[in-house]
Amino acid sequence: MSTDQQDDQGEEDTLVNVADGVDHQVAMVMDLNKCIGCQTCTIACKNLWTEDGGSEYMYWNNVETKPGEGYPRGWEDSGGGWESSEHSDRSPGEIPDEEDYGRAWEFNHEEIMYEGSDEPLRPREGAEWGPNWDEDQGAGEYPNSYYFYLPRICNHCTHPSCVEACPRSALYKRQEDGIVLVDQDRCRGYRYCVEGCPYKKVYYNTVSKKSEKCIFCYPRIEGEGPDGETFAPACAEECPPQLRLVGFLDDEEGPIHKLVNEYEVALPLHPEFRTQPNVYYIPPFAPGQHTEDGETVDIDRIPRQYLRNLFGDGVDEALDTIDAHRQRVRQGGDSELMELLQDKNPAKQYRLEVFDDE
Amino acid sequence: MPASGPSWPPLSVLRGWSTMTDHRRTLILTAVLAGLIVVSTVAAPMVSARPAHEIPVSEVSTADLAEPSADGWAEVPASDVPLSSAPSSVPNADDTSIETVDVQAVRTDERLYVRLEWHDATRDMNASATREFADAVAVQFPANTSSRPPIAMGGPDNRVNVWYWSGSTGTQELLAGGAGSTTPFENPTVQANASHSGTGGNATWTVVYSRQLDAPSENRTDLRTDGDLDVAFAVWNGSNGERSGQKAVSEWHYYPFSGGPQGPPYETLLWTLAGIAIVAVVGVTSFGIYRTRGAE
Repeated sequence: MSTDQQDDQGEEDTLVNVADGVDHQVAMVMDLNKCIGCQTCTIACKNLWTEDGGSEYMYWNNVETKPGEGYPRGWEDSGGGWESSEHSDRSPGEIPDEEDYGRAWEFNHEEIMYEGSDEPLRPREGAEWGPNWDEDQGAGEYPNSYYFYLPRICNHCTHPSCVEACPRSALYKRQEDGIVLVDQDRCRGYRYCVEGCPYKKVYYNTVSKKSEKCIFCYPRIEGEGPDGETFAPACAEECPPQLRLVGFLDDEEGPIHKLVNEYEVALPLHPEFRTQPNVYYIPPFAPGQHTEDGETVDIDRIPRQYLRNLFGDGVDEALDTIDAHRQRVRQGGDSELMELLQDKNPAKQYRLEVFDDE
Repeated sequence: MPASGPSWPPLSVLRGWSTMTDHRRTLILTAVLAGLIVVSTVAAPMVSARPAHEIPVSEVSTADLAEPSADGWAEVPASDVPLSSAPSSVPNADDTSIETVDVQAVRTDERLYVRLEWHDATRDMNASATREFADAVAVQFPANTSSRPPIAMGGPDNRVNVWYWSGSTGTQELLAGGAGSTTPFENPTVQANASHSGTGGNATWTVVYSRQLDAPSENRTDLRTDGDLDVAFAVWNGSNGERSGQKAVSEWHYYPFSGGPQGPPYETLLWTLAGIAIVAVVGVTSFGIYRTRGAE
C-alpha cells in the first residue's frame, strides 16, 4: 500500500498502489488449496491463443508441480527482474532454450493407425523433458512426501521488467487496466523481454519472429465476444474447482482487495524479483507430517522455508491468519475471510465491470 | 653579416655548401629543392591518402552489379571501414565480434550500388529457435541530406534512412528518428543480394544493396545529390547473440558525390600553412645566401 499516493492525491484516492499512468489494475487471486492440477486452464488458454505455428511450445498459462523445475525448466534461476526496489537497474536474464520449454513431441500415430504396428503409442524420440515432466514428483520421503500445484500466468506486474527491457517500447502497460501487452507492430524479435521477465512469461514466436504473452484475455473482459458480454479470462472461467478470483486490485469492495490488502492472505510469487506481481496466491496447506506408525504430528509437511522462498516472509502471517479464521468457523463463529475463500457466486468471483461507468 | 640575415642552422649548412659552388648554381638548386618540398607536402596527402572518412564512389553510366559476385566489382576501389561496439543501453552492448567491413560503391545514371564484405565464420540465417539470431548488416543515410543526423539512429528532427538486410528477415528499408524508433517502410524500394562463401576464418559475407537514385517517397534519401553524402555501417553477428543495439558500427563516413577530393577544412588549412611556411623559409634562406655571397 502506498501512503505517498494518499498524501499526494488527497483522501478520495485509492489506498492501493497501482503503477504510474495506470487508471486501474487488473488482478487475480489463485487459491492453491483448490488446484487439482487438471490443466483445464492450460488447455483453455492454449485453444484460445497459442495454437498457431511458432507458438506450439508456448503455455501462456501453465500449471507446474512444486517443488519442481517448472516451465520453462529452471525458470526461477534464469534471472530478470530488478536489482533493487528503486526499479532503476534491471538484473540480467537468460533466454531459455527449446529443451527447457520442452519441444512438441512427434508420436507414432502413422505406424499404429495406418501401418498395423503393434508398438504402444509413444513419442518417437527426444522425449526427455517437457512442460509438467516432473508432475506430482514433489519432494520429501514417504510417508512425508509433499507437493502442490502452481498455476502461472503473466503477473501483469506494477513494475514490469519486460517493459523496461524492450529498447523499442514495444511492450507497454495499458492505461485503462494495467494489462501488459506486446505491440506486434513494434516488436522486432530482440527477445530482451523474454530474458528480462523473471517469471519467463514472455515467449518468442519462432514463425512470426515476434514476442508474445498472456493478454489477460482482454477481448473477453472488454466484452468483444459475439454476445457482447464480459467474461473473465478463460483460465479462470474454465477452472473446474473455480480457484481464481478476477477483478481489480483497486476495487476496494471486491474480494481481491480484501484478500491482498486487508487480510494479507494472498501473496505474490517471488516478491524478491521486485516487479510487484498482480497475480496473488493463497498459500497451500498440507496435513502435518506422519510418524512411521501413521500418527499425525504437528510438523509442517511442506517446509515453511520452502513457502517463504516462493511467497516471501508474509507467508507465515498469511497461514496463521487463515488458520485462525478456520478455527473460528469450526467453533461456530463467522468469518468474512472464510466466506471470501469459499464463495461460489460468479458475480462475486469476477468483478470486471465495476469501473465501466468512468 | 647584415642584421636582417637569418642565423638558423639551415642557413649555415647551406652557406658552407654553397661557398664551394658557383653562386648562380646555388640559387637554382635551392629554388628547385624548395619547389620539390612544397609540391610534395601539398600534393602528397591529396594523391596517396584520401581524407579519413571518405569512401570512394565509382561513377559510371550503366553497370550490372546487383550480384555480390558480379565481375564489375573487381574494378571498384574498396575501403576498409573500422567498426566498434555501438554505445547502447541493451545488455552486452560491448560484446561485438566484427571489427571491419569492406565497402565499395558505384553510382550509375539510375542506381546506387553498395557492396559490403566482412568476415564471419558462421552463416546465421535463422531466428527460428528461441536463442537463435541471424546475421545482419545495415547502411545508414540521412533521410534529409542537408545535415548530418546523430550517428545512433538519427534524431527526432533529423531522421535516418536505413537499408537493412538480415538472414532471417531479408531486406527491409527503415526510417528512424532516434534509438528505439526504427520503423520499416511498408514497400521497400531497396534491393539486396547476399552470399556467404569460404569456411572458418576466411568465411565471408558479401551483401550488395542497390536503390534508384531518385528518392521514391518522402523520408527516403535522395541519392542524386551532388554534395557529399553521409553514410554509416553496422554489422551484427547472430551467433554471438548480436541484435538491436548490440552491434558493430562505423562512424559517419561520406560518399564524395561532389567530385574531386575534399578533406575536412582543417586539413586543407594545415597543409596550406605548412606550404607557406616552407616557401617562406626557403625564400628567406636564399635571400640570405644571395646577400652573403654578394657581400663577399
